Amino acid sequence: MIAKDVAKSWILLNNEIMIKKDDEFSLEKDKEAVRAYFLEYVNKNTVFFYTLKEKIDYLIENDYYIDFYQWFTFEEIEKVYDHVMGKKFRFQSFMSAFKFFQSYALRDDSGQKFLERYEDRVVAVALFLARDEGIDRAIEYTEAFINQEYQPATPTFLNAGKKRSGELVSCFLDEIGDSLNGIGYAVDSAMKLSSIGGGVAFNISKIRARGEAIKGVDGRAGGVLPIMKILEDTFSYANQLGQRPGAGAVYLNIFHADMDEFLDCKKINVDEKLRIKSLSIGVVIPDKFMELAEKDEVCYLFYPHTVMTEYGKYMDDMDMDEMYEELVNNPNIKKRKVNARHLLVRIAQTQKESGYPYIFYKDNTNKVHPLNGVGQVKFSNLCTEIMQVSEVSDIESYGEEDTIRYGISCNLGSLNIATVMDNKRVKEAVKTAMRALTVVTDVSNISMVPSIAKANRELHSVGLGAMNLHGYLAKSFIMYESVEALDFANTFFMMVNYYSLEASMEIARERKKTFVGFEKSAYADGTYFNQYLEKDFSPTTDKVKELFEGIAIPTQEDWNNLKQQVQEHGIYHAYRMAIAPNQSTSYIMNSTASVMPIVDTIEVREYGDSTTYYPMPYLTNDNFFYFKSAYDMDQMKVLKLVSVIQRHIDQGVSTILHTNSKDSTRDLAKYYIYAHKVGLKSLYYTRTRKSSIEECVSCSA
Amino acid sequence: MEDMDKVFRAVNWNKPDNDYVLMFWEQNIKQFWIDTEYIPSKDMDSWKGLSYEMKEAYKKALGGLTLLDTLQSHTGMPKIIDHVESLQNKAVLSYMCMMEAIHAKSYSTIFTTVSSSNEINDVFSWVKNNKFLQKKANVIDSFYRGVDKPNPTDEDLFMALGASVLLESFLFYSGFFLPLWLCGQGQMVASADIIKKIVADESIHGIFVGLIAQDVFQKLPNKEEVKAKYLEVLHDLFENEMKYTEEVYTEIGLTSEVKEYVRYNANKALMNMGFDPVFEVKQVNPIVLNGLNTETTQHDFFSKKSTNYEKALEIVHLKDEDFKMDIAVEV
Repeated sequence: MIAKDVAKSWILLNNEIMIKKDDEFSLEKDKEAVRAYFLEYVNKNTVFFYTLKEKIDYLIENDYYIDFYQWFTFEEIEKVYDHVMGKKFRFQSFMSAFKFFQSYALRDDSGQKFLERYEDRVVAVALFLARDEGIDRAIEYTEAFINQEYQPATPTFLNAGKKRSGELVSCFLDEIGDSLNGIGYAVDSAMKLSSIGGGVAFNISKIRARGEAIKGVDGRAGGVLPIMKILEDTFSYANQLGQRPGAGAVYLNIFHADMDEFLDCKKINVDEKLRIKSLSIGVVIPDKFMELAEKDEVCYLFYPHTVMTEYGKYMDDMDMDEMYEELVNNPNIKKRKVNARHLLVRIAQTQKESGYPYIFYKDNTNKVHPLNGVGQVKFSNLCTEIMQVSEVSDIESYGEEDTIRYGISCNLGSLNIATVMDNKRVKEAVKTAMRALTVVTDVSNISMVPSIAKANRELHSVGLGAMNLHGYLAKSFIMYESVEALDFANTFFMMVNYYSLEASMEIARERKKTFVGFEKSAYADGTYFNQYLEKDFSPTTDKVKELFEGIAIPTQEDWNNLKQQVQEHGIYHAYRMAIAPNQSTSYIMNSTASVMPIVDTIEVREYGDSTTYYPMPYLTNDNFFYFKSAYDMDQMKVLKLVSVIQRHIDQGVSTILHTNSKDSTRDLAKYYIYAHKVGLKSLYYTRTRKSSIEECVSCSA
Repeated sequence: MEDMDKVFRAVNWNKPDNDYVLMFWEQNIKQFWIDTEYIPSKDMDSWKGLSYEMKEAYKKALGGLTLLDTLQSHTGMPKIIDHVESLQNKAVLSYMCMMEAIHAKSYSTIFTTVSSSNEINDVFSWVKNNKFLQKKANVIDSFYRGVDKPNPTDEDLFMALGASVLLESFLFYSGFFLPLWLCGQGQMVASADIIKKIVADESIHGIFVGLIAQDVFQKLPNKEEVKAKYLEVLHDLFENEMKYTEEVYTEIGLTSEVKEYVRYNANKALMNMGFDPVFEVKQVNPIVLNGLNTETTQHDFFSKKSTNYEKALEIVHLKDEDFKMDIAVEV
């Protein structure tokens, strides 16, 4: 009976959630699925040890764990275990348990047997992160993990404590210089970074356009598409031991002459050589472009190599507000005319058909970039939340010295808004999170890509984010699109900003060390603090005031004190916050993803290897109404909420637009305009809900 | 030379011929896809992990589907197009005809990726020699041939349309079961993306042809007689389908579940024809039923391609007022 070997009772039970009885979904089936999953699968496939000592020794001796005894005695490790086991953790949803065992739990080398449960993973990560600070710090970490208040991003949670593992950092970005050496360096980096499990993004805006000159001979350059093709193949080749598929993104400045074919690469009926299937694409949009679109003035796209030849500077590094007219008027600059509004609509059309491109609002980002004294932000990453200074390295031929400048590396983690609010531990969780993230930058050294290593070594960037916003609002009977939601986010993220800054200052003070370039930052001159000194960010609505009862909220005076301390001691991290989409980890935490609204009360989740039904956390018959789908929401209100969160986030917020098939290209383009006007720094995917034909037939009948 | 006097009409979209044709035209175009957008090579590891019996069943299921889509694109749709009156309906049908050809090829895209040439040849010769599959094709084809003459009766046309609905809404599903079921278990997921696209197409094809059939049915003087004849064909094909299911699915132990699923879809075909369901259905395997839901799902762009996006049919441009927005924030 072959089918029986493949069929799994827990998957069947999980699917049975969707069977409706008396017009209600069979939600209780999800708990049955968890039970069946443990009884029939996890328990049967877990290696049994008689004692904790036996287990730890076995894992260390057989090269599964690093040797924790270098830092801790067995008694200390046992104490950490006892603390964690005492919490009696249970998975709340099949999705959470399934995701954990499928993707995170340590298995033996045959891949068949589990060596870890959730508690073991929590302890291993905590011990790893606390190895230089001792047992109390380890317990502090486990407290935040097992209460599900703070969740490190996948690379850290998956790899920490394991002897044979990838890197702990999530995300890498770099520039590509317009030379064969520069392109070669990028392809080489792409392969290496992809193989250690990071998502990688490149800025390809500096590459000369199709048909430009090579060595002075016109018409020879191939443009950006061939490079994208090479990168796409590179990422699909170099995956992390087959565990995670390699993933990458490229960003192109909207004023680049190759913009048309860049957008066309996602079309399905395009020549194979020009079609890009799995590489993600993003468009960098400076203010000048939005201004041209608004005024409906003629817009020119430029050939970047002619700009380089004329000015000795990359077009992508120029301030287009300043240089646009100059480039238009200079006859030596090759250019072509487009209609800016039509180009926005082209972007909308491409998004409707593929979900791409991402949008990065360059000047919105740099207007509030605290490190403007160090340099500018040119592009973003695979999930559009990382926004840091970068500068292209000069890669020379063999035997000559390269000039290595800043690439970008960022390791991430997320607060669970619901648990930190319920446990009244916002401050504690943020500080613990900042400590954990700091350890990851300290121990990471991506030496094989020197521009990335330099950035990490000097800037110690981290990205603390958040998840479960919609879940928390819904369980507190607050609509996601309401003023109360804006009010809550405004106070909550102000607090995250405050405590993460305080933590960063404390670490700088302890170590007597700041990130390189602190003195040129808005933290040093104090201007970063202006908004908090001018305005009080406490809650204004009664409902939200109630939620914060028993939680101390930093006042304007506290902010003033913090400003002085930061100016005195500096801060350790050049970048502290970034709100990632945290897809996988939100399932483990039984949370709604990131700060985005949910898509459905029971989410149908497709992964490369499975389809799972995930009832939203805290969903009951009482609060059903508050679990409104993102597809039924006014996207302007979603963007408005993101704009409130963005005030308090030094990097970006990964923001997804949820549209319906009937939304026109004009509707989408209006979202881009609104997002730009309210100060968003980026837009991630656009997701589309299809209308089914049954729906159409019943409408037309 | 009397043919030389025939008057030709041009299709005029200025006024819709009926209240559904435009909607189906648009929906069809939105759903356009081609096989090479998808990446079945991601299933190589999964394929290697399947047992011999499972692989055999999978290949046979897909082989059977290929035959049906071939019949539909080469005979079914062209014959029906000849005799449907509305020029707009003809246009929608010819679009569907093209998609059927893409479907028939796309199974090969999966085959070519996972199987050797010898294995593929074996499947196609199995298709040629399998009596149940051949019977299925023969019965349907006979009704298509029934309109292969200058002036077929309304009854001939109704039976041809009805046969097409049986094919689209009923006979495909014994083949769809396995890829959908495996996908629910996390196997052959990338190939299932292609299958889901086909399911989405077949579902609108069945509804559309069913609506045309209902129009023709209303014109029949002997409705009950024709309906009885139609049900007889259905039952004949149903018996055959049961045997076909046994042949493909018994070794992997899924026969009874597939049969339940076949009954469920036979009812759906009847409903598309405007008739009441006749089979009792208790509980269809929820994994497959959920897999059939062609509405939007969540996915991770890094690990798989989305099946959610559709062609943008209409380009609407921006106006001056679109830039004048209320950007006040309450807090």
